[in-house]
Amino acid sequence: MAQYDLTGKIGQYLDRHLVAPLLEFLVAQNIYSANDVLQSKLSLLTETKMVDYAIDVFKKLHSDQEVPQKFLDKRQKVVEDYKAVQETSKSIQQILEDPGLAEQISNSRDYRQLVEYLVKNHEFKPERIDSIYDDAKLYYECGDYQTASQLLNLHNELVPTTDKNYLSGLWGKLACNILLHQWDYGMEDFEKLKTYIDEDPFRNSLQTLQQRTWLLHWGLYLYFNHAKGWDFLLDLLSNNAKYLNVIQTTCPHILRYWATAVIISKHNRHSTAMKELVQVIQQESYTYKDPITEFIECLHVNFDFDGAQKKLKECETVLSNDFFLISCYNEFIDHARLMIFETFCRIHQCISIGMLAEKLDMTTDDAERWIVNLIRNARLDAKLDSKLGHVVMGVHAVSPYQQIIGKTEFLSMRSQILANSVARKLGDKSSYVRM
Amino acid sequence: MSRFYARGSDSETSGSSSEEEGPITKPIVQPTVYLSEDEEEQTSKRIVRSARDKRFEEMHTLVRKIKNFRKNNDMSNILDCYEDLTKAHQKALPIILKEEKGATPIFYLRILAQLELYVNQQWENKKSMSKINSKSLATLRQKLRKYNKDFEDDLAKYRDNPELLDEDDEEEEKDVDDDDDDSDSEPEVKEKKASKEKGAKKIAKTDGDDESDDSYWGSDSDESSSSSDENEYTDIRQRFLKKAGDGEQEESKTKKQKEREQRKKDLAKSKADREQEDEDELGTWEIVKGGVQAERPKMFQKDQEINIPVVMKKLVEIIAVRGKKGTDRKEQIELLVELETIAKDNNLGSAVAVKIGFAIVAAIFDYSLKVHEIQKVQYWIKLLDKVNEMLTLSISCKDTLTIDENIAEDSEELEKTPYKVRGCLMTIFERLDEEFLKVLKELDSHSFEYLERVQDEKKICEMLDRLLAYLETSHLVNDKGVMCRAYYKKIEHMYYKFDVRVLKKKRGEYKGETSVDDILRLAGYVYAKDTTDRLRTRAILCHIYHHAMHDNWFEARDLILMSHLQEVIHHSDPATQIMYNRAMVQLGICAFRHENIQDAHNALTDLMMSGRVKELLAQGLMPQHRHDRSPEQEKIERSRQVPFHMQLNLDVIECVYLASAMLIEVPYLAEHEFDAKRRPISKTFYHQLRTLEKQSLTGPPESMREHVVAAARAMKKGDWQKCYNCLVNEKMDKKVWHCFAIYEYTKNDEKIGVKEMLRRKIREESLRTYLFTYSHVYDSVSLPRLAGMYDMEYDQVHSVVAKMIINQELMASMDEPSKTIVLHRTEPTRLQSVLLQVSDKINILRETSDRNFETKIQGGPGTLGPGGKGRQFNRMDWKNRRNQNQNRQNQHHNRGDRGDNRGDRGDRGDNRGDRGDRGDRGDRGDYRGNRGDRGNRDRDGQQQQQQQAVEQ
Repeated sequence: MAQYDLTGKIGQYLDRHLVAPLLEFLVAQNIYSANDVLQSKLSLLTETKMVDYAIDVFKKLHSDQEVPQKFLDKRQKVVEDYKAVQETSKSIQQILEDPGLAEQISNSRDYRQLVEYLVKNHEFKPERIDSIYDDAKLYYECGDYQTASQLLNLHNELVPTTDKNYLSGLWGKLACNILLHQWDYGMEDFEKLKTYIDEDPFRNSLQTLQQRTWLLHWGLYLYFNHAKGWDFLLDLLSNNAKYLNVIQTTCPHILRYWATAVIISKHNRHSTAMKELVQVIQQESYTYKDPITEFIECLHVNFDFDGAQKKLKECETVLSNDFFLISCYNEFIDHARLMIFETFCRIHQCISIGMLAEKLDMTTDDAERWIVNLIRNARLDAKLDSKLGHVVMGVHAVSPYQQIIGKTEFLSMRSQILANSVARKLGDKSSYVRM
Repeated sequence: MSRFYARGSDSETSGSSSEEEGPITKPIVQPTVYLSEDEEEQTSKRIVRSARDKRFEEMHTLVRKIKNFRKNNDMSNILDCYEDLTKAHQKALPIILKEEKGATPIFYLRILAQLELYVNQQWENKKSMSKINSKSLATLRQKLRKYNKDFEDDLAKYRDNPELLDEDDEEEEKDVDDDDDDSDSEPEVKEKKASKEKGAKKIAKTDGDDESDDSYWGSDSDESSSSSDENEYTDIRQRFLKKAGDGEQEESKTKKQKEREQRKKDLAKSKADREQEDEDELGTWEIVKGGVQAERPKMFQKDQEINIPVVMKKLVEIIAVRGKKGTDRKEQIELLVELETIAKDNNLGSAVAVKIGFAIVAAIFDYSLKVHEIQKVQYWIKLLDKVNEMLTLSISCKDTLTIDENIAEDSEELEKTPYKVRGCLMTIFERLDEEFLKVLKELDSHSFEYLERVQDEKKICEMLDRLLAYLETSHLVNDKGVMCRAYYKKIEHMYYKFDVRVLKKKRGEYKGETSVDDILRLAGYVYAKDTTDRLRTRAILCHIYHHAMHDNWFEARDLILMSHLQEVIHHSDPATQIMYNRAMVQLGICAFRHENIQDAHNALTDLMMSGRVKELLAQGLMPQHRHDRSPEQEKIERSRQVPFHMQLNLDVIECVYLASAMLIEVPYLAEHEFDAKRRPISKTFYHQLRTLEKQSLTGPPESMREHVVAAARAMKKGDWQKCYNCLVNEKMDKKVWHCFAIYEYTKNDEKIGVKEMLRRKIREESLRTYLFTYSHVYDSVSLPRLAGMYDMEYDQVHSVVAKMIINQELMASMDEPSKTIVLHRTEPTRLQSVLLQVSDKINILRETSDRNFETKIQGGPGTLGPGGKGRQFNRMDWKNRRNQNQNRQNQHHNRGDRGDNRGDRGDRGDNRGDRGDRGDRGDRGDYRGNRGDRGNRDRDGQQQQQQQAVEQ
């Protein structure tokens, strides 16, 4: 299954801390040898300040060896730093504990007012703002996301959007919220970042492209964890040339997530979103292909139902091995099946249940029950012919009479409007002549 | 050579009049016969005399010239000479004041009076003159009037008594002439010259080696034009001469005199000959010429020490005349080459060699501007060798020599290493390349010469590689502009060449670098570093072309989409637009190979719709019906032509276009057979189809077009086999498909290539057409039977039909258990279908009247009518639009034919064509004017169509 694993591709656009859960997931999946994964995890962690974690991994990896001195040295240093920062940021901690702070934040019009308030009530020194950011960074690197998030929150309120650390602060906040599984807050940060990037403060299309790529990737945590994540992804991509461009130029692998989101999303399944997706998939077929996109291609371009069925099976394995998609595995399978069935019904008048069961990968009885449920829920206009074992679709051909009526019914209304406006105009003219 | 010689010595010996007139022949070491003190005396005397004589002599020659030109009515030259004459007079004024007591020389007065008379005479028949001449005449007249006012009194005197003065003058002239060596034969010379000018003017000009001529013919103009430049050098050289070869000079003088005498005899003889027969004249030509050639290798004095400053001075002297009127370019080249040999013989170092090399190349470039086509080839070879030589030289002394454009002329360093020379190899190479294209364009593309010249491409490429290697290691590597130009040149030489390795690599038969990788590397540099935008655009287009040619469809497509060139290409220069057209053609053909029929059609349609493919691709001029080309315009267009070896096969383009149009249009036609709103997708194809259908008898197809149309007719009936046979057969193989043979290959015993693609596509589209056309006679159709009919897999048929059902093209659904298509009747009875059509038409009528109402009532001048879609028209536009409307409607009524509608889109195509091929500012202005109307014209078209529909 390694060929469909995207961890490597996605990893390069993520923060080290964000990759850690991905790797942990991989350990459980047995796609790669456990040692390799642990090794990469170790090299990942040595660059961060989560030394204890790194030491743990090292011990797992080399159970017979002593922990090297460099880890211990680093640990020593990190602990010292951490303590020092804790010491210095005490005043900030006090500010954070101030119950009136939240209220003040929501009340103050802009950052200046807030700074004034803090200076007045908490003997806050405005020079300290930058150090709040630095402290937050240290906390984050040590794995104390909670504190980091709090500090960054404050920092964000205290600086203007033009500040050099503003953008990094936003990214930091998003990372913290993701790692703390606070999806709602994460969503807020995501929105903020998105608007900030869309304003294009970089004046450099390459940088903008990079930022957007990151955003798309970091967002993966949100799309498939937040309750409304899929819709969010769809909104982001549909009719948005900016992000479509990003996918096409830097990261076509995002197509997998987009395709999944389109399949799972409840509404507008066959509408524009799907059309757009199909188009992009076809365009990018030479750079990126996986069972999910192929499934869509089979179903919506070639109408190859057997092929789609095969691809769907492959999709199952892909989904179950994808960190982000595993949570929506069942939904995906259900929806995909329904999609095959619906498309099938649209072009057929009469289908035998046996074949349908085979196509849907169910037993005949299950299939029958499934169809009955569909009919009962009025999602399908059909009748079952149990003698022959057929499903007969309702005929929806429009009769010519209806067509003619449809075409002509508004004519009288329109001609009346026209007549009225002509009359008005003539009236105008005559009045004009009289004048 | 001799002319230069005369000039050189003119300035050299400004003191001695004897040297001045005669063509100077430097003696080749000969024993001195005698050396008398007489000689010394003579020279000193002469110097005294010469102040007056020299001036007068100058004026006399000019007067003579004017007289000569007058015979030819060559106004512009008269004007030039006249101006020189007044200048000469100005110079002579102090002497006149001193020696003639302020009296204006009579001959001067005479010429002024004569000129005035002459000008007045000519003024009357001014209209019959050429533009240049009449212009010069007007200037001359004005100047003369102004100038003659100063001499009013003298002139009046002259007019009163012309004879007397004339006589005087004659005498005086004789006096003066006697001083001249040649002047004893002056009248004859004049005559001779007159005849020569009529007969062999050209020879006189280009090969003006005739000695007697030179004395007042070539050297004069030089003197007048470059006297100021030369004076400075004169002094220096004189000083130098004194030092180096005083004795030598004297020696030479005596010899010169002797020789002059000798030549006088010769001349006299030859003149006699000349008078007898013209052919003899030619004979004497050669004799004289031979003499001159023998004299030639004497650029410097014999024993003169040749060092860098001297050579450089000479070089500057030679170059100084460059670009001036009357400069003999050919002679310049020869002089420079000689100078180079001298420099080489004396080991003056590479810097000097390079410096002279630059001058030579520049001179050859100058020369080739004027030279006749046939000679051009010869000069081209010379140029190629020269540039090659320079390149070798610069590379060989790369470590010590810096060549840069940015070195100022005076900070050049020629004597010591590290040398510094001003100049740019890249620029020279670019011009060389331009010249190459010019040479190719002037040759007949099917001739042997062309073949021979095209082989130079290899040499050029090799040179370019060396140049690139040189640039990459020189200091210029940091100069982005130069490097971009260099890389672009390389791309330009690569992009149109096919590299088989690319295809092999794709099939895994070859590993390693291919031209695609090279271009990617070069173009990458240009994309990143270029600041001019033009180079980048062109590099992208080349890159697209190259990718498309090598079947890299996705890469080519992505490049064109990402570059957004389609939107801005109309603002670029014609050459780039031509390139764009070429790239689009290649892209279209590539899309066709990749089965992307729609893309192929889209890429080619703009071009084909214009009906002027040839012009838009710059592969030949077409007669223009609407506006005649002026000769200049034609010349410009001709200069844009793409050389033959880079041209695209027009037959292939058209065939690909028509085939893809067929694959799109035929099913579309079948589907919308009764649809009132149907519009042809491809007008060109539609037109072809209609013309064929109009014929009462259709024979077997002959031309490529007929084949495609015959195929389309077969497809219309759903007969895929016949359709395929019409499109792919031996005839068509020879005409078109052989160009695709290179892309064909077999993979797992399965042939992959254009023909297979066509086979597949034709079957599919025929099936669709069949279903559209005949579905109304069936109640149900069996899928396996369809599969059998169209020789397709069941799954494929199923997929095609499913697609049609989903897209609601076919009102049907499938019956899975019996494997049939059940067709739902939508227009069961005749009455109902007629009713449907009527209701459609009523709707259209309503829409039309709505729109008419809106435009009539609300869309008045200056308002934002809803029909105008917010576009504001000014009053003029509005009027035009009205007129157009009326015209169009008239037309429409006259013919009442659906074909009329072709107008609007065709026009648009034409406009684009204009833009593409001419694109000068004026036209673009026009175009914009048209565009203002376009929106509304389209709408007119629609309206008409709707009206027609209603009428039907």
